[in-house]
Amino acid sequence: MKLTDFLRPEFCVMDLKAGTKEQVINELASILLPSGKVKDKDDFIKHIMERERLGSTGIGNRVAIPHAPTQSVEGLVVAFGRCASGLDFQSLDGDKVNLIFLLATNPQDLGTYLKFLAALSKLLNNHQFREEFMSADSPASIIEVVRKYEKS
Amino acid sequence: MIKNILVSVSGSSDSLIAAKYAICLAKVMQAKLFVVYVINVKVLGELLKSRIFVEAEARAYERDLNDQGKVLLERVKKMAESKAVVCEISLQSGSVSDEVINRVNDLAIDILVMGELKDLTSRSDVFYDEGERIFRKAPCPVVMVRNQAMVEVLYKEMV
Repeated sequence: MKLTDFLRPEFCVMDLKAGTKEQVINELASILLPSGKVKDKDDFIKHIMERERLGSTGIGNRVAIPHAPTQSVEGLVVAFGRCASGLDFQSLDGDKVNLIFLLATNPQDLGTYLKFLAALSKLLNNHQFREEFMSADSPASIIEVVRKYEKS
Repeated sequence: MIKNILVSVSGSSDSLIAAKYAICLAKVMQAKLFVVYVINVKVLGELLKSRIFVEAEARAYERDLNDQGKVLLERVKKMAESKAVVCEISLQSGSVSDEVINRVNDLAIDILVMGELKDLTSRSDVFYDEGERIFRKAPCPVVMVRNQAMVEVLYKEMV
């Protein structure tokens, strides 16, 4: 399982414009539309927000991973957004978040989705990885950082 | 004499091809085919621990994987029976590699069939990738199935 098989430069936003959790999820869902894998954006967002209501996916270390399975997508879709000033995500540790990964999967692909989340979680536990992610200057650099740490 | 063949299925297209090949092997060798699907509760536990999942969510995924596993196992059983291969299915839960190895030992498996291994992306994959672990730890001969087109033809022609 390679994260870079799913995380593409065209689905990375280096400077999110949105100011709230709902707006960020909407902004990231929108950049996935050209992939053709999102069949119903509103339903996609609805599932993500329903999951958020169970508890924030702001998992600490200034990272949030909003996610959900939904029939509204084909396979596994991933978008990344960075917010340098920080965003209130009602995180578990109370801090604002800078790095947001939006994920959704068709329920038929749960296995891949779980492996992706586990691999992403492992990388995000690495302080150095998060620092390099924060300082990357382009979507291509973001992908290179992931590739570098995937190999290590 | 080869009496017992085990194939591990996961829902991936590779594992379905492995199942088809295992059915062909069992047919030719007149062996019994065992099919196992393991609900990967290890990864659910890891995601719960890392706080990406909440408890209710992890349990819901476990139920979904359980349902998917049952459907998949029944599908493979029907495929085997359509080729007149005696087949026994089992749904397990835990660490995928540990459970598959347990089945190999408990059932006195002669050949383990598995889907093609993915390319390693990191050094840690050697130790942590479930497929790699099965391949390295299995106490019996392991057949790793490649060439989907060839297997499809073989399976189709098997009467």
